[in-house]
Amino acid sequence: MHIEEFLRGATATPGLTGSEMAVAEYVAAAFRPYADEVKIDRLNNVVAHIKGDGPKVMFCAHLDEIGLMVVKIEDDGSLRMGNVGGVDPRILPGMRLTVYGREPLLGIVGAKAPHLQTEEESQKNYKREDLHIDLGLPVERVRELVQVGDLVMLEARFTKLQNGHVATKTADDRACVAMLLKAMQLLQGMRHKADLYFVATCQEEIGSYGAAMSGFNIEPDYAVALDVCHGTTPGAPPLSTHKLGALVASMGPFIHPVVRAKLMDVAKAHNIEVQTAVVPGRTSTDADDINIQRGGIPTILLELPLKYMHTTVEMLDMHTLEEGARLLSHFAAAVDASWEEELWT
Amino acid sequence: MLRDTLKTLLSAWGPSGGEHGVADTIKELLGGHVDSMRTDVMGNLIVEKYGTDDNAKRIMISAHMDQIGLVVTSVEKEGYLRVHNVGGIGMKASEYRRVVFENGVEGVLVSQPVQQGEAKLKDMFIDIGAQDREEALSMVQLGDVAVYAPEIFSLGKHRVSAPGMDDRCACALLVELLLYAEDQKNTIVGVFSTQEEVGLRGAKVAAYALEPDLGIGLDVTAWGDTPETKLPDIKLGAGPAVKIMDSSMIATPMVRDALFDAAEAAGVAVQREVLPFGGTDGAAIQHARGGIPSGTLSIPCRYVHSACETIDMRDMEGALKVLLQFVNIV
Amino acid sequence: MDLKQLTDLHGPSGNERAVRRAIVEAAKPLADEVKIDRSGNVICLKKGTNPDKPAVMVAAHMDEVGFIIAGYTEEGLLRFRPVGGIDPRVIVSKWVAIGDDNIPGVIGALAIHLQSADDRKRVLKYNDLYIDIGAKDQKEAEKLCPLGTYAAFDTPYAEFGDGFVCAKALDDRVGCYNLLRLLEDRYPGDLYCCFVTQEEIGLRGSQGAAYHVPAGIGIALEGTAAGDLGDVKEQFHITRPGQGVAVSFMDRASIADRELYRQVLALAEGAGIRHQIKQGVTGGNDAGSLQVGGGGRKTIVFSVPCRYIHSGASVAKLSDIDDQLALTREYLNNL
Repeated sequence: MHIEEFLRGATATPGLTGSEMAVAEYVAAAFRPYADEVKIDRLNNVVAHIKGDGPKVMFCAHLDEIGLMVVKIEDDGSLRMGNVGGVDPRILPGMRLTVYGREPLLGIVGAKAPHLQTEEESQKNYKREDLHIDLGLPVERVRELVQVGDLVMLEARFTKLQNGHVATKTADDRACVAMLLKAMQLLQGMRHKADLYFVATCQEEIGSYGAAMSGFNIEPDYAVALDVCHGTTPGAPPLSTHKLGALVASMGPFIHPVVRAKLMDVAKAHNIEVQTAVVPGRTSTDADDINIQRGGIPTILLELPLKYMHTTVEMLDMHTLEEGARLLSHFAAAVDASWEEELWT
Repeated sequence: MLRDTLKTLLSAWGPSGGEHGVADTIKELLGGHVDSMRTDVMGNLIVEKYGTDDNAKRIMISAHMDQIGLVVTSVEKEGYLRVHNVGGIGMKASEYRRVVFENGVEGVLVSQPVQQGEAKLKDMFIDIGAQDREEALSMVQLGDVAVYAPEIFSLGKHRVSAPGMDDRCACALLVELLLYAEDQKNTIVGVFSTQEEVGLRGAKVAAYALEPDLGIGLDVTAWGDTPETKLPDIKLGAGPAVKIMDSSMIATPMVRDALFDAAEAAGVAVQREVLPFGGTDGAAIQHARGGIPSGTLSIPCRYVHSACETIDMRDMEGALKVLLQFVNIV
Repeated sequence: MDLKQLTDLHGPSGNERAVRRAIVEAAKPLADEVKIDRSGNVICLKKGTNPDKPAVMVAAHMDEVGFIIAGYTEEGLLRFRPVGGIDPRVIVSKWVAIGDDNIPGVIGALAIHLQSADDRKRVLKYNDLYIDIGAKDQKEAEKLCPLGTYAAFDTPYAEFGDGFVCAKALDDRVGCYNLLRLLEDRYPGDLYCCFVTQEEIGLRGSQGAAYHVPAGIGIALEGTAAGDLGDVKEQFHITRPGQGVAVSFMDRASIADRELYRQVLALAEGAGIRHQIKQGVTGGNDAGSLQVGGGGRKTIVFSVPCRYIHSGASVAKLSDIDDQLALTREYLNNL
């Protein structure tokens, strides 16, 4: 399956944090032709295994997306929403959504009309509590079709822009799941010693639980977490963003320096550009929680730069995604038992 | 009976780290009625009632014994005690509140006027009626903990109010489940956990060691049926709540749905809970080891973390019926 | 190894290599087994003399708070971030050592003469501060101090006053110092001396140790805050240097096992070991990991009071450090 086609399908398939079933099936089906075994575990992690005799390596990207949840049905049929993960309320006014009640329903996010607002009110951002979802249905019908706790997915639109850029929702982090898929495809034609696990993890957006549990279950010798980081846009604070055109490999106390150095050697040998981000503490990705599983797991983090993170128009460079897959496949082929001796010296 | 068990447990003294008195009370209530009972290194009381099925699943059901409290960190030379919170103590709920230590010493938690902003815990002290530091230290020690003094009363026909309802009402529920479950299909591993209020610590240790097949947290949840408080959309007396999501976990859909099924089979109306804050033992079980499918059943409670936490006994009775059904159908 | 040698080593969280090497070398002749685990912790086993006595793990962390180079200015100044909690107000006009070659750097500030009245009121944040190594341009700065290079406070060790010591990283080289001294003796029960990594950035190395070390009792040896000088209200002192090892009943990460706490205080009284009770519920340490990890443990924390902890010039009383060792030994010998 072509990566762009996969990404288009994956970002449109629902998989909110904690309820990733539909997208887990989609991803498992895509992984299947390229692995010896693909399983969906009882918490919705998708685990693909490409067997080898050497050290065990786990690559992971998260499957789940942020979204909303119905928290109350008002007497006029409008719905109030709560967050599932960190949705910025500023993107909501005028947003089209799908409410997963007894059937998928189209909803629009509404707010107090401008002509009804005071001068003061119109200078402030809308708060989520002041917004509602309009289903265009009378309250009796709403109550038949919708319940408190029903999930709400943001609008899925995949837009191709200039110069190989695309904008879509949930590039965080399904663009990296696409990278895993492409790496697995490339590995079909490559020799490797390592015992490889490619995992699409669940529940990252609420606390990286899928990654923690996968790290515990698989107990790899090394782990490579994949996530997205911020692309440069006006007004961003210093040292917090990178250009879209190349991957970013983090450095810092949560990243194993020796494993990272091996990654950089592979990148250099294959002419793959890699930028550096210095992270002095928590990376706020799956890497943080895999790192401390069992007795500890040497972990590194590779990130795809994205502009407008956590909106429905997350923008990335497809070429960077392809280069990322190339880097992962060559890294997987390079993993060797001799790395162990160098870990702590 | 549920109301009697509740009152007995509400009268026990037990902040995080000092739950032994509550555990002893529970041991007395359960002794002779269960298949096994033991205490682990964290002080969790672990009680098992075996299931009849050959492939019985081990269901860990956790209710925490600890309540919030205040620990003595220093004594002023005039005999006033300076304190730090143990668990989530609210400032408003604390002002001029009667508190009590394990050894029975009572005191008043006093809030002092501050120059700017609101009084914080460091601006408060406990007055135990001592003349000076020496007398105070003959009555209590550094590190001793005080809790809101128990005061149990009824509101109308169905409601009960007291400090420590969080989470003694769930402990009462678990006690009754263990007493009345008979020949149920699955094995109930009841965990009366410790130190939940300071970070789900007891349940983390218990879940890791027990490795159950499924987990259920039992706790209180907030309310949305008083003036100005509309969320979460939970009402007292409208039935126990099946948790869909809170800050600490998203209930595993399979377990959450099994709770809804159990409620339907038991003929109990339940509410759907979405909480934008809070955490329960259910999360500790779900994230243990390689992940354990888990959910939480909640008792709607008004004025949580005050000295007048209020619940409706009809919600408790409904919850008991749901649990008795759940351990048979899952 | 003495305390000076230990505090002179540079090991910010995530870059404990130099400290780990020195400790492995010092521990090898003393312990029965020395291993490095998958979190980079050094685990030393000293077998006990009595198989009926329980095993105990005692932990001290090798890492210190420090800095990491995160970027550059065109003129060749280094942009940096803290590793662990360092208040930016204590680093202005101080000295650092960067990288394996200990390249000297200074954290300067705009001369006071050039500041306006408003400037002087503003708190300088990390984005406003730079390390200057005297590089002529960005290229030279990048070459000498590549991105991700770690830096540590550069403070000369000094014993001063009436039995006081001033150094950087007393938190927690005092613990490491005592942990090495513990290895000199054998005790009734098996003793696991665990020199752990990355405590300052979230009690991380100790989680790995907690998972695999087979001991049912855990003791953390730490440095803790002391706020007793400068006309501070008594309720905020927490601990006082000179009054002995501080025993905690509770902190943010763990609650001391009640029985263990009482036992330890009784032992201290009985043996005449100078001790105090930590009068605050501030901070969290490795005991938090030891208590809930690997199936759970009884835990307790013994701390050395340190004034100006997490700055480049922390201060402790030497006798308190010896008291921490004495109390730990007394406990291990009376299992």
